[in-house]
Amino acid sequence: MPIHSIPADIFLPIGGVELSTLPQQLVDGLLLGFIYALIALGYTMVYGVLKLINFAHGEVFMIGAYCALFTSWALGYIPNNTLGAGQWWMLIVMLVASMVGCGLLGMTIERFAYRPLRNQPRIASLITAIGLSLLLQYGGQIFLPLNQNIDSKINPAAGAFTIALGGGKSVDTATLKHTLEEKQAAFEEYLKRTKADPFNLDADGKKIRSEAQAAERDLKNAADTGKGTTLVIPYGKVIAMIATIFLMMGLTYLVMYTKRGRAMRAVSHDFDAASLMGINVNSIVTFTFLLGSVMAGAGAMMVATFYAGAKIDTFFGMVFGVKAFVAAVLGGIGNIPGAVLGGLLMGLTEGLVSWLGFTAYKDAVAFVVLIVVLLLRPGGLLGSAKVEKV
Amino acid sequence: MIKNVRIAWKPALAAVALAFAFGCSGGDTKTAEGDKPKGETTTQPSGTTTAARPEPTGEGVTATGDTIKIGVVGSLTGDQKPWGDDSIEGAKMALEEFNAAGGVNGKKVELIVGDSASKAEQAKSASEKLLSQGVIGIIGEVASGNTIQIAKAAFSKAVPVIGIGATRTDLTDEGTHVVRVCYTDAFQGPVMATFAYEELGKRKVGIVTDNKAPYSQGLSKSFADKFKALGGEVVGEVFYETGQTDFTGPINEIKGKNPDVLFLSGYFPEVGPMAQAIRGAGIGKDVPLLGGDGWDSPQLLVSGGDAIIDSFFCNHYNNKETRPEVTAFLTKWKAKHGGKDPGTTMAALGYDAASLTFDALKRAKNLNSKDLIEALNDTEGFKGVSGVINLKGKGGNPDKQALVVQVKPAAEGFQVFKKAYSPSDIK
Repeated sequence: MPIHSIPADIFLPIGGVELSTLPQQLVDGLLLGFIYALIALGYTMVYGVLKLINFAHGEVFMIGAYCALFTSWALGYIPNNTLGAGQWWMLIVMLVASMVGCGLLGMTIERFAYRPLRNQPRIASLITAIGLSLLLQYGGQIFLPLNQNIDSKINPAAGAFTIALGGGKSVDTATLKHTLEEKQAAFEEYLKRTKADPFNLDADGKKIRSEAQAAERDLKNAADTGKGTTLVIPYGKVIAMIATIFLMMGLTYLVMYTKRGRAMRAVSHDFDAASLMGINVNSIVTFTFLLGSVMAGAGAMMVATFYAGAKIDTFFGMVFGVKAFVAAVLGGIGNIPGAVLGGLLMGLTEGLVSWLGFTAYKDAVAFVVLIVVLLLRPGGLLGSAKVEKV
Repeated sequence: MIKNVRIAWKPALAAVALAFAFGCSGGDTKTAEGDKPKGETTTQPSGTTTAARPEPTGEGVTATGDTIKIGVVGSLTGDQKPWGDDSIEGAKMALEEFNAAGGVNGKKVELIVGDSASKAEQAKSASEKLLSQGVIGIIGEVASGNTIQIAKAAFSKAVPVIGIGATRTDLTDEGTHVVRVCYTDAFQGPVMATFAYEELGKRKVGIVTDNKAPYSQGLSKSFADKFKALGGEVVGEVFYETGQTDFTGPINEIKGKNPDVLFLSGYFPEVGPMAQAIRGAGIGKDVPLLGGDGWDSPQLLVSGGDAIIDSFFCNHYNNKETRPEVTAFLTKWKAKHGGKDPGTTMAALGYDAASLTFDALKRAKNLNSKDLIEALNDTEGFKGVSGVINLKGKGGNPDKQALVVQVKPAAEGFQVFKKAYSPSDIK
């Protein structure tokens, strides 16, 4: 970042702590943290089973966003459409499409890119993962439409929870509002009478207009002093959070209380011993990739749909992928609750950093946190540090 | 072993420290130099930075062979594809006309296209490739960050660079070989600041800058300077980066400052989604959004949805203008593109940049890139689609008018003209 673009007042928030934006930043950070957690699960599960960092996971996430986009197009929400608000079943169709699309992609990647290399040195798989990631990012540019958005109208729950947290002074805005209405009416009447262009006025018109504008400013200033701290949480982000929690509960059930889950844990514990005990290791590995990719697909659909205007291109998964990977390492890679904890912590840290006024550095701070955690606890927060023999 | 390592440490540290110190001081001087002409041009928007422009020292490239080779660089891929497509298409139209009219004394011009892929480093390699193919002029680019790289690559060969939509003010300080057919940010920024302060009656601006785009940084600065000079207050500036998808952090931060107008100086791929995020965060429509010519693409309507409607931005010309150059250009364009108007103004600017280059080829003493530079800088009264272009004594920056337009739904024509500013309107 060029030195001259650092704002002069960058250190101000530390001295005169501005508390009013803290709740909003933390809540937004937490909501984003759930998405990171969802993606981090994919990294951590694959690592747990194969000891492989699937760097193509972010690109699976990207494809998930495209699946959601194409489904929304198929439902009629093409660019510049004139449709009204969508239906709930549309969101579910999009979610299922993303999950199925990503699940298939994840299994395909495992079958054709990683399985042939499973008995080769681990570095070969790692390089393949990076190669796949680049292939999907740049190869995707040839046939995928770039710079697309899912029309936010498809989300039937437009609007947001607005929660007043207090702190505002009581200001009488009624008189100011009245003055504004009067002045605006006068200006409109003037425009009607003279048929003047509102942006090319003579001295008289300018005077009337500036009175109306002054009244508008007064009202806004009064309202700003009066409103205090408010928390705005779009419904969509809340839906995303609830859906994420349900998905995680489902995953926990699958891993902890089903036969397949037990097999998965066994493979993760000792690959060779599990295979000697009659577990079909190949099918378990495929299943792990399927699960992780499905989670990424769900996350992608939710980001693309509920984060208003999120831009979809082939690099969509890059930032999210890297952040989720950091989250997985932070929580202890290979550890499922750790991934969730790591994701939430990442989100909160970002919120906190944004609140301090360092939005431009929030990505860097995420990595600083990672370095600090790894220095103090090399295995991650919930992971166990094992000495590996090389 | 250990001893050796220890000894090696100190000089290494010193070297690092030295390099750092030099790097920093170098950076500082550059900033100071870069700021100075910007400051001057803010007070004098016509731009009088001629003295600061270094002259390319190279021999220049002479056109050999049957055709005169001219390069054109644009983003055929990546984020800014709408601009690349339009500007190159415009240049090609100018080429057809020029060759049909006989070229330069019967010698035809050949246009070689290079793809900048919306990236500065790609723009550099594309222009280097064009230079190795023996072009005597390079038309391009639309984005300032890419044009700077082209200008640097062309300097040693003394090949002229004709900027299409690159508005960053200090761009023409790269050398006398850089000229452009568009206005500069030293004009565009103050135009929007004046519009916000005088016409919209706003006093507290929040600025949102793309930290990765030199264009956005320069424009934010020129806007802020003028807005403060008028008596307004800059309540805060927040940053994001090209390609970012989540703007929650910076938007919450700027929301806490209670601005009554927001200036988004970035490019359309991020501005559209950001507008939605701004409205989603609860900043109401009583806080209008303003921007520069980086907004100019109908894609803004798709990615911005209802949130972007009624915002204002600054542009070069308008399809609804009735000047003969505009109507003639649009008629030709529509005939080639199935009756559709060009999506962005970069089509007209690409056409102007190419026509100006070809016109200069005719006026140049010889078919040599150095003579072409001279001819370009001597341009007087060239009637382009986007307005009259004068470059003589202007330091590569024509003083053209800027139009403030309002974003409306596609059915109402995307950009609706609101107010025109000529350089003399901005004091």
